[in-house]
Amino acid sequence: MSWKNIRLILVKELVGTIRDRRTIMAMVIIPLIFYPLLFTGIGYFNKLGSTKSEEAISNIVIHGGEFAPQLVKYLHDNEKIEILNIKDDPSFKLKKGDVQAVLEIPSDFKYKIDQGAAVKLILKYDATEAKSRIAQKRVNQIMEKYKSEIILQRLSQLGLKEEFIIPIILEEENIATAEKITGSFLAILLPYLIIILIFVGAMHTAVDITAGEKERGTIATLLVSQISRLEIVLGKCFVVMLISFTSMVLGLLGLTLAFLSGASIAGGIEGAKFGISINTIFLIFLVLLPLVGLASAVLVMVGIFARNIREASSYITPIYMLTIFLGIISISQGIELTDKMFLVPVLNSSFVFKELLMGKIYWEHIITTFSANMIIAGFALLKATRLFSKEEVLFRS
Amino acid sequence: MIRVEGLTKVFSDKKRGKVVAVNNLKFDCQKGQIFGLLGPNGAGKTTTLRILATMMVPTQGKAEVNGFDVVKEASKVRRHIGFLSSETGLYDRFTPRETVEFFGRINGIEDKIIEKRMAEIFHNLDMEDFQDVRVNKLSTGMKQKLSIARSIIHNPSVLILDEPTVGLDIITARSVVEYIKKFKEEGKCIIYSTHIMREAEKLCDVIAIIYQGNIVAKGTLEELRKNSLSDDLEEIFFRLINQGEKRK
Repeated sequence: MSWKNIRLILVKELVGTIRDRRTIMAMVIIPLIFYPLLFTGIGYFNKLGSTKSEEAISNIVIHGGEFAPQLVKYLHDNEKIEILNIKDDPSFKLKKGDVQAVLEIPSDFKYKIDQGAAVKLILKYDATEAKSRIAQKRVNQIMEKYKSEIILQRLSQLGLKEEFIIPIILEEENIATAEKITGSFLAILLPYLIIILIFVGAMHTAVDITAGEKERGTIATLLVSQISRLEIVLGKCFVVMLISFTSMVLGLLGLTLAFLSGASIAGGIEGAKFGISINTIFLIFLVLLPLVGLASAVLVMVGIFARNIREASSYITPIYMLTIFLGIISISQGIELTDKMFLVPVLNSSFVFKELLMGKIYWEHIITTFSANMIIAGFALLKATRLFSKEEVLFRS
Repeated sequence: MIRVEGLTKVFSDKKRGKVVAVNNLKFDCQKGQIFGLLGPNGAGKTTTLRILATMMVPTQGKAEVNGFDVVKEASKVRRHIGFLSSETGLYDRFTPRETVEFFGRINGIEDKIIEKRMAEIFHNLDMEDFQDVRVNKLSTGMKQKLSIARSIIHNPSVLILDEPTVGLDIITARSVVEYIKKFKEEGKCIIYSTHIMREAEKLCDVIAIIYQGNIVAKGTLEELRKNSLSDDLEEIFFRLINQGEKRK
């Protein structure tokens, strides 16, 4: 095996790939521009929508307001609440969105309060509408304030202090640093997106330089040269790895910048800080590199087996779907991790990536993930080389 | 030179079972000679040439190129052969210069020698004007010239040409035939497959008529005419094929 020959194939494929606009699209434009724009855009419009809802006046209708004038006054005094006088059926208006909440006060309100009993009020709202949820929150806050006043009155009538009903005060302190909060925020989606980018980045090139070469009839010219089959496969695999790796790095860069710059816009983290150390970044690459190798080797293997680009694409679709499926599993919160899970490609990288972003370094997970993915990548590469030596695969028609 | 002895290739096909693509072929081709394999589509021409070019392994028999066995010494064989077929494509995103450089390098030629030979070949094939234009912008004729340049950059002594004029217009096909004649004059050993009678007549020193994997007749054009009592190669070809059908 000669590295010089592998390099010749690698350089040739790399030049051909870079000159292909579709690769630039998959490798640079999507991870570096499209993804960040998408996420900052989603965050921006979300924030814009919720700000508008927060600022909007809540129109509410009160039934039986005359039975609780004090409560109505509290609601009336809130500048974000407008009490409407509607004679028609307010439920219809609520459904239509003209009214955001309807409060029903029973006629025995005052009597029950005076008797020291509990009164049941009904608040109708539409949980699927942001404005209606905000109206419910506003009414609730006022109701809590009003309830506290009644409790205080009742306690003083009994000669008791407020502490009587609050025997324990729990003060919570969040010790998570801004870096950790940022890490946990990134850990939710970043691994999944990066894994998808690794596959998307590798897919087009892998198919183009294997099945594409068969389709264009250029493969025979390589087979009669001085370069061995192993050297050809390795050269092709390395170039796919390089493209996939670049796509991943650009994706990491683009998405991290998008998350951080758009963090406050997205309403996720205030004062986000990127506190991941150089060592952690090194470990992230250490975990992702075998996955890049695995994705490249599997895709090259499939591309070599396929008759043409179309057939290769149809074989790759289920592999891509499986990757997305494993990625989605890894996003799901509350999954109980077992050691065996770190033997499953994609899933393992995603979990370790997540752990690293959260600042947790479990060496046994890192080593298992690295080894499992390297071994499977090695097998795929071996299989690709074998396929490349089979004349029935090379000359299938 | 090329020597073929008892060459047989059997493929396994899911629908048809065992298919004998090439059956017990025997021929040789000397330096400065063009050996023609004349036969219809599916006769076994491409399989024979793929075995000679080390892309396929024979089921039985032996083939040698310049004394090297095509199976046991495949790498040495590749050093001596130039392969060109109507099916071999080119890299669209490369220029002729880049293409030829690449094929020179993967055939183990030093850059200095590549430069020198490339200049000669581009001059001889009249390719200088488009040597830096990307392949996807070239005409069919220009592309075929480039295919020839690619297959001879390492100065092979044996040329394996599998229907190199298929799909070409009449002018380009004629110029390809002229280049092949020049290669013969340079002393190269050329094996040439075709289904075009006129080409075989014009080019080949020895013609083997191949049908359903078997060589049904072999000899110079004169010998074939004499044995078949006909002057017309097309007539000879159909008579031999009909005889083959009757024997079956």
